[in-house]
Amino acid sequence: MSKRRSDWQTRPQARIRKWFHEGFLALDDEIISQISQDSEPHQSYEALLEAQEEAVETRKHERTLALDRLDQYNVLVWARTRGRKVLSALHVILALVLSIMMIFFLLETVALMPRFGDTQAPGVNEVSQRYIEKGLDETGAVNIVAGMILDYRAFDTLGEATVLFLAACAVLILLRIDRNKDGSPVEELIAAESDDRHYEPRSDRILQGSAKILTPIILLFGIYIILNGHLSPGGGFSGGAIISAGLILYLNAFGFEKSGRFFTNKTFVMVSFFSLSFYGIAKTYSFYFGANGLDSGIPLGTPGAIISAGLIMPLNIAVGLVVACTMYIFYALFRKGGL
Amino acid sequence: MLEWLRFILTAGFLLSGLMILITAVFGVYKFDYVLNRMHAAAMGDTLGILFCLLGLTFSSPDIWMALKLLLIIAFLWFSSPVSSHLIARLEVTINPMWQQLPPKTDRSGEGNL
Repeated sequence: MSKRRSDWQTRPQARIRKWFHEGFLALDDEIISQISQDSEPHQSYEALLEAQEEAVETRKHERTLALDRLDQYNVLVWARTRGRKVLSALHVILALVLSIMMIFFLLETVALMPRFGDTQAPGVNEVSQRYIEKGLDETGAVNIVAGMILDYRAFDTLGEATVLFLAACAVLILLRIDRNKDGSPVEELIAAESDDRHYEPRSDRILQGSAKILTPIILLFGIYIILNGHLSPGGGFSGGAIISAGLILYLNAFGFEKSGRFFTNKTFVMVSFFSLSFYGIAKTYSFYFGANGLDSGIPLGTPGAIISAGLIMPLNIAVGLVVACTMYIFYALFRKGGL
Repeated sequence: MLEWLRFILTAGFLLSGLMILITAVFGVYKFDYVLNRMHAAAMGDTLGILFCLLGLTFSSPDIWMALKLLLIIAFLWFSSPVSSHLIARLEVTINPMWQQLPPKTDRSGEGNL
């Protein structure tokens, strides 16, 4: 910048340009300032030579780059024409080999299995016989189905509850409208809330009046079904669905502001996490220490009492909490994109 | 004699309830406009289910089951009219042309929910 020329008018370049443009395009002030900035400082002969060598080097480099690019292009073309054929042929061969192996294994397994409808097959007799005969003794649950899904096949039920939780998390990722970092709502959220307010029957007196009467009854009924799951038909899944129906009714009647006082995203995450981890830990303990007649230290109680059947009632409660939270948050997310 | 009376009451209530439910199903598929369909569905939800459950109440073996069925009737009579009211209210809220629509002309689905 120190060598900026101030005598631009005396340079031949500028003078020629001015002569060339004279008559139809006079140099205005901007062009003048551009020329004055673009003008190069004087260079020595060695510097010019270096610059020339550099230019030659850069051209060589560019040429090699271009050749490389040509090679890459050729490779791409090969991959898209002949390579694709080779790969698809490989795929077909591998798929055929895998399928034939699979068919072979399955056929062998089928050949080893008992005949269909065989009354002597162990799968028909022994499993259900064992459930019916020893289920009450081993699980302590009067309801055999609860004993099956929460004692014998408890990890299957844990997987189902986890699937629900994961589905809720995926919907949360996809549909949640986040706030800004300073806590102010983004435009989408404002639009969603105004839209929601437009359609929401929140100020409806009839709905509010009936919800005031019905919501406690529904919640009580859901709690009853969960707590009585080892004694009567029902359990965690159905009771949780009923509880979430009551929560959704409350939300419809009174809006997100009132329901947000007791149910937020944090509530959902904490309740689901603690329920699922309690389930996993308790069931791991009982499988490691209480399987096949070992003494796990969990009393089974007298069958038919409300506190009996060992772990089945706490596990029912955990499943019910997960189901209720999941269904409620599904509703909230699909309706407004958040809680 | 008493058994016959119970049977006749049960059968009569169940048959009338089923008739009303069939009418409601026909109405839901026959009508075009949302308010008409809502009327048909609400009729099935209240009167038809009331008759069916009354019939079951007369045939129930003990008094507790009958009381439970009466509680179910009370619950349904609470919830079903409220939901019909909400559907009607939503229609009135979001459809500004709801008073101008003649009931059976609009078969294109436009303006219907």
